[in-house]
Amino acid sequence: MTLARATASEEEIDPIDVSFGECLSGSRLEGTQNEDGGWGFHAEAQSRVEPTCWAILTLLQIGADKNFSECVLRGLRFLRSAQLPNGSWPAVPGQQDGSWVTSLACWVLLHARHLEGADTPAAAGFRWLCDDWPKDTSAWRRVLGRFSREDVVNHNPSYRGWGWTPRTASWVEPTSFALIALSQSPQELLPRVAKRRERLAKSLLCDRMCPGGGWNCGNPRTYGVPGEPLVCPTVWALIALRNESNRPEVQESLAWLEKNLTNFRSSASLALARICLETYGRNVTIRDQYIQRAFGKNDFPEDTTAIAWISLACKARPYWLLNPAENG
Amino acid sequence: MPETSKSLIPSFHRPPSRVAIRRNASYQQDLAAVVCETLCEFDLPVRGKKVLLKPNFVGPDPLGIMNTHPLVIAAARESFLRLGAAQVLIGDGPAMDRDTQAVLESVSLREYAGPLSRIFVDLNVDDVQRVSLPTRASRLKELYLPKTVLGADFLVSMPKLKTHHWAGVTLSLKNMFGIVPGSCYGWPKNVLHWAGIDRSILDINAAARPDFAIVDGIMGMEGNGPLQGDPKKCGVLVFGDDPVAVDATCCRVMELVPEKIKYLAAAGTFLGHLNAAKIKQLGESVESVRTPFSVLKEFARLRAN
Repeated sequence: MTLARATASEEEIDPIDVSFGECLSGSRLEGTQNEDGGWGFHAEAQSRVEPTCWAILTLLQIGADKNFSECVLRGLRFLRSAQLPNGSWPAVPGQQDGSWVTSLACWVLLHARHLEGADTPAAAGFRWLCDDWPKDTSAWRRVLGRFSREDVVNHNPSYRGWGWTPRTASWVEPTSFALIALSQSPQELLPRVAKRRERLAKSLLCDRMCPGGGWNCGNPRTYGVPGEPLVCPTVWALIALRNESNRPEVQESLAWLEKNLTNFRSSASLALARICLETYGRNVTIRDQYIQRAFGKNDFPEDTTAIAWISLACKARPYWLLNPAENG
Repeated sequence: MPETSKSLIPSFHRPPSRVAIRRNASYQQDLAAVVCETLCEFDLPVRGKKVLLKPNFVGPDPLGIMNTHPLVIAAARESFLRLGAAQVLIGDGPAMDRDTQAVLESVSLREYAGPLSRIFVDLNVDDVQRVSLPTRASRLKELYLPKTVLGADFLVSMPKLKTHHWAGVTLSLKNMFGIVPGSCYGWPKNVLHWAGIDRSILDINAAARPDFAIVDGIMGMEGNGPLQGDPKKCGVLVFGDDPVAVDATCCRVMELVPEKIKYLAAAGTFLGHLNAAKIKQLGESVESVRTPFSVLKEFARLRAN
């Protein structure tokens, strides 16, 4: 696999003596943490659970030889204070209901177990996740569906994943994040139904793959017309299915990702693609310099999520995707 | 933003709305001149104000039929600045792809509007504020909405002229789905579909009613819109100071009956004028630019003939 534009552009970039990713996250993430310990989606923005999770995960990853532990501890305190009494996390502080970010929060807490006791909040989060079934595929709706004259999106209703918001419908990205979080957890923190939910959710992801490989938000066909895959859902679905690499859907989607690399223009998409391909042990030629160059053109240079993903991508191996027990 | 009470005046108490149709065969014409001249006719109160342009950005669009064309957006931005606006921002929250940078790369906005870091706001990840919805068309009751939208003095909806496989058409009212932040509600913003698309359109527009609309109908989309339809050349830009009147006029141009589109029929009772008799037509007449758009068979009932 080669990336023609990367090769052509590398000569134009001055050599860098430190890892671009570490330099980026070290300076930006540390400097943009809010007083309350959280991070916003960009500098000086209100603290939110999602960017806080990405920032903590990044600082944990690059922090082994740097002194980011104080930042991380403050971030973890923000996360714990944002948890709702039912165990979930809201997308916005003040929201009374949980959301998909619960998966991210559980994932991050598990990776920070060595710093602070995270088991109780994570276990509560997993309980909430496993209790939240999408309503679009409830038994009642499946019965109703049998009498419906047409099926616009043609999903298999027996498969069930997770939604962006509780009690709605399954979508690719929240389902993937939940699967990734569940896969990182020791069994003793998970409710008994977790295994079944994992099995159903993996089947759902395979059912929702776009014809020809890759995923979009979760409608591979509408009125019979194939949908176009997107980078983010494809990457997260592939990472969620990383222990199912023999499935044809995984192989087909990896091939889609590799084939389309040269079309990706945004640094965040490039970073995610690199993380995904490295997770599968593929020969990755998306170099730091190419991501750096794309980031230089970024219209949102203070985007916390993009900075975190780029920083994580620039690490040699995605340890943050391993089960923390394996990570040592 | 207008006072909520002003946006909810029933149609029978509202003064007539104004809609202008301009013929534009292609994007290569001097759009800035056309847009500026038309906006001058409306004598809009934008001097010294913060204007927010809300285009419709969906994703890669090689045929130029899915997204509001960047030349139309750049022309509108330049025109509002010429009219004395203190600041003209562009903001959208794409519904399908959370990598807004990737969406912006695909629509090439930077090439026409210049560096975006200070003028474009990703509404999906903007700071938000809880808004209690002034209407109860859906069961949403409240939404978290971007502070950039709530803080704008003058909100301009800039949709593409398209049919829509759930709602019938997607124009300036449906375009406001894009202000609902993905970071709170996901990609897509499924909570709105779950609450009912037609009903959600009404609640969102009651909370943040556009002060003005500019519809990119130079090249539109027919059939299985808003993503998978076919190109339809229509050769018009439609402007107006009432989003309901603008959408109704666009429907008539597309040879669809606005009164048969559920959310438009309801919007016509409290958000603006649906009735052609209450719409003062400027520029071209509807008849002179009428271009029949095909619709999915499920929406055949919307056709005028």
